[in-house]
Amino acid sequence: MKISADTATCIGAGQCALVAGDLFDQDDDGIVVLLGDEPAESQYVIARRAASLCPARAITITESA
Amino acid sequence: MTDSTSVSTPAVSMPATSPPATSPPAVARCPHHDIRTIPTDGTPLTPSPTLAKWREEAAATPLHYTDGHEGWIVTRHELARLVLEDSRFSQRPSRMPGELRVDGDNEPDIDDEALAAMEVANLLALDSPQHARVRRAILGRFSVRAVRGYEADVAAIIAAQLEHLKAQGSPADLTEHFAVPISAAVHCRVLGIPSSHAEQFTTLFVGTATTQQKMVFVREVLAIKRANLGGDVLSELIRSDLTDAEVAGVTHVLFTSGRDSVAYMIATTTVALLSHPDQLVALRDDPTLITGAIEEFMRYGAMFITLFARTATEDVDFGDVHIDKGDSVSVSPVAANHDDRRFENPDDFDITRDAYGHLGFGHGIHGCVGQQLARLEIRQAITQMLAGLPGLYLARAEQNEPMPFANPVATYEAGSVFVGWH
Repeated sequence: MKISADTATCIGAGQCALVAGDLFDQDDDGIVVLLGDEPAESQYVIARRAASLCPARAITITESA
Repeated sequence: MTDSTSVSTPAVSMPATSPPATSPPAVARCPHHDIRTIPTDGTPLTPSPTLAKWREEAAATPLHYTDGHEGWIVTRHELARLVLEDSRFSQRPSRMPGELRVDGDNEPDIDDEALAAMEVANLLALDSPQHARVRRAILGRFSVRAVRGYEADVAAIIAAQLEHLKAQGSPADLTEHFAVPISAAVHCRVLGIPSSHAEQFTTLFVGTATTQQKMVFVREVLAIKRANLGGDVLSELIRSDLTDAEVAGVTHVLFTSGRDSVAYMIATTTVALLSHPDQLVALRDDPTLITGAIEEFMRYGAMFITLFARTATEDVDFGDVHIDKGDSVSVSPVAANHDDRRFENPDDFDITRDAYGHLGFGHGIHGCVGQQLARLEIRQAITQMLAGLPGLYLARAEQNEPMPFANPVATYEAGSVFVGWH
């Protein structure tokens, strides 16, 4: 799995940092910071959850083939 | 009050290729005589049967707005999310055919400077890129990390307010003596309203005042802040690259928004818990359930019957739903949060369910900017209240009877919530 986060569309609602704090943080301006773009398999569920909850659809998950 | 029995099954033409009757069409057009207004037959904790009926019939239902024009109300969760995420729907009230304009434009005492500030910086009435520019000026003070920094102060405010509530003697109105004062004090703390002006803030923004009176207060507070910048939201706003008019407009929005909704949620959550003894016991037995429970509070007790209406800037198709350019579209978080296509047994209050994905804070680029702060306030208020008042019970709550709601954005009111304890 690969995660990407679009800082241009991020609106800083903090949903990702709330539900997947090991994968996402927010910088001093409130904008998403990706803590690692290749999550461990045990983190796949929260990664998908963060992406689905993002109100700005700023998080993209690319599942491995 | 809307009589749900007067809403007849809409006439729907079913072409030969239509799906079978078990899969109803996503949209039903009403005949002209069947005019639908936002139903008033629900309460915060008992969802409107009329909204439920509409949701069963279609994902979106024709709606008669209070100013007379026709549009849509979206009741299903999936379509609600899609509409809120879609930039083809404009938030600018000036696109609406009827009554929705900036606050204060019909008030006789409003001055041009105040109106200009509201026009350029009302976060709830802007589209991107101007919306993003304004929102980004304040985001940093509402992040998950920033909100953690407020935790000790918020906890102290709530502890003091709990003592005040107890001092009233049992029973007492939790809304008046706990929920509302907490929301006002936290608002002042986080935004950075000087303590010298906290009382006037409550008078003007918790009580009633004209938009002009509020804007005069906004200017006065901003003048003080400019001379004493700190680590709060208003200081951040002043340091940003926004113009003075934009700073005044955003400040007005921040003073006006989010406070009453936190008070509402604290009061309504208390009613929900005290009316569901099994859930109350579960939370008392395992306080760590509070994190997920907050999402259920927001789902089950959502305040917004509709959000600010959007306007389609072009023709938009969502499956069978055809929205014409210029149509007004109101999304109903209350209806979407009770959609059984998204939440199993949606009318059950279950603090252990996975309630994430609710629309209690809205969704899309206009989703609540203060939602992490709201979560903190609700968590601290409920946790401290349950710990400090072990024999808490509900005496009576106004909100258990249908009450009139605000328009044009229809919201439930907290009302008085009398609780007792022993």
